[in-house]
Amino acid sequence: MMRFAVSDRDLDVASLRRELHNPDHGGFCAFEGWVRHTNEGRDVGGLEYEVYAELAQVEGERIMQEARERFGAIDAVGIHRSGMLRIGEMAVWVGVSSAHRDEAFRACRFIIDQIKHRLPVWKKEHYLEGDTAWVACAHHGEDHDHTHHHRHHRAPAGFVPDYSRQKRLPGVGEAGQEKLARARVLVIGAGGLGSPVLAYLAGAGVGLLGISDDDRIDASNLHRQTLFTAADTGRLKAEVAAERIAAVNPSVRTELFGRIAPDEAVALFRRFDLVVECSDDMSSRFLCSDAATMSGTALILASVHQYEGQLQVIDPRAGGPCLRCLWPAEPAPDAAASCAESGVLGPVPGILGTMQANEALKRLLGLPGQAPDRLLLVDLLDNRTDQLRIDAENGCASRGGCVAMAERAMAARGGDSLERRFSTLGAARAAGYRLVDVRQEDERAAWPMPEAVHVPLPVLLESGAALPAEGPLLLVCASGRRSARGAQHMRDSGRADVFTLPGGLQGLSE
Amino acid sequence: MITVELRYYAQLREQAGTGGERVSTDAETPAALYDTLRLRHGFSLPRDALKIAVNTAFCSWETRLRDGDVVVFVPPVNGG
Ligand SMILES: [Zn+2]
Repeated sequence: MMRFAVSDRDLDVASLRRELHNPDHGGFCAFEGWVRHTNEGRDVGGLEYEVYAELAQVEGERIMQEARERFGAIDAVGIHRSGMLRIGEMAVWVGVSSAHRDEAFRACRFIIDQIKHRLPVWKKEHYLEGDTAWVACAHHGEDHDHTHHHRHHRAPAGFVPDYSRQKRLPGVGEAGQEKLARARVLVIGAGGLGSPVLAYLAGAGVGLLGISDDDRIDASNLHRQTLFTAADTGRLKAEVAAERIAAVNPSVRTELFGRIAPDEAVALFRRFDLVVECSDDMSSRFLCSDAATMSGTALILASVHQYEGQLQVIDPRAGGPCLRCLWPAEPAPDAAASCAESGVLGPVPGILGTMQANEALKRLLGLPGQAPDRLLLVDLLDNRTDQLRIDAENGCASRGGCVAMAERAMAARGGDSLERRFSTLGAARAAGYRLVDVRQEDERAAWPMPEAVHVPLPVLLESGAALPAEGPLLLVCASGRRSARGAQHMRDSGRADVFTLPGGLQGLSE
Repeated sequence: MITVELRYYAQLREQAGTGGERVSTDAETPAALYDTLRLRHGFSLPRDALKIAVNTAFCSWETRLRDGDVVVFVPPVNGG
């Protein structure tokens, strides 16, 4: 049972709970969100929830599906109220049942956090002083402790975008416009490259733009970061960018993130169709390349220096080369100069960012684009370009492959989880993992895993050398408990490319 | 003696004071060629901080150079 709904009636908790009874489940956890009396210091008499129902339904079901992928065999129900509510009434209910309590707690927390961050819901607060105000619900993250903040910005009513000039193009049309409206693009860095990327993707009507940036606007940015004005100095770039996007095209939704943590990157990338890397930070570029490789998400990279720029499109699903195929390890800081040290002419990031926006739109529309096996160099002094073919055979392929390289780098960042979630064993193999069955011999007869190497947990704990030398390895058992112990043991003994399938065979969807 | 066309990007352009030049050289590989260019232009980057491309494809520093080759030196670039 996985269900999400929007309801305009009082929530009947007893019957919601009954839906989650399951003879295999021994744990149940629920969260209730209630209307509070005060908000940001003002007394509230009641409030009115406005829900964009069609979108909320789709996004809500997507959240439930993601919970299943993350936490395995769970049953879950999420309901959000719409309409008028009084103080103390229940605005949202999430319930999860599972075999054990841990998954129930974690999945419940995940679902309510995602609902609060992602659902298109606005509340109109009726203040006791008689006035009212509309507030985007995601601004009220009082019950989450995420290191980054997510915020949705709301479209004012009454504006209808006119895409006639781009829909007229052969290769776009009504169908292309719908593709853009459904697309989710994450833009990392809202600076010189990010300004044109965000402006053009917003204008084109891309449905959801994620913006990651924790930097504030400085007067020295204004010669190249065209989204901002002198009045914005000191403000957060991501927030101002979201306001400018809403001003260009109020039908575009935005979701804001701070700096992306390594252990969140892969899951975050999976939520987007495409990521555009526009930061001025070499370690962010490598993190993005690794997360794109591990999640199978396409990535458009660019960087600039003085009067020139570089552009690379990474297409992991097509087996194309990654950033590490070019630069196996992150270059030393002094080997790559930054805008602050070397200077940059304003239009240079403008041109490269515009090219990134162009590549992003073409990709979403299924049009031809920058060849993923080439690095484009653009020299904007004499306007010369070089397309250099990346030597993929001597890149990651000679070091275990892009996925293995990304895995190792991600593990070396430290914050990386031991867990690798897949809904099928085939998906794990397709992602480059070698499967290792850590169950006992007698269990294997009942549920064979012919594609896996067999190393029972006691053998592994006695000597890690019993495992295949070539990683990355995914340890699998019935419930995920023994495989987690094995993976932890290997991490403790210094091997970084051994992971566990949480939920084990019981959590798979096959 | 062969003649090759060189292109410099990023810090190399800055330090050479030009985006490219045509040189005649005894160097048989990009590695040997870069060593002589480092002396002439005072390039600060060591070879392993760079990528080398010959005739529009990235390749090994030990690739054999031929007369008329276009050799591109590419440092990593960081700005955004
Ligand atoms: Zn690679």
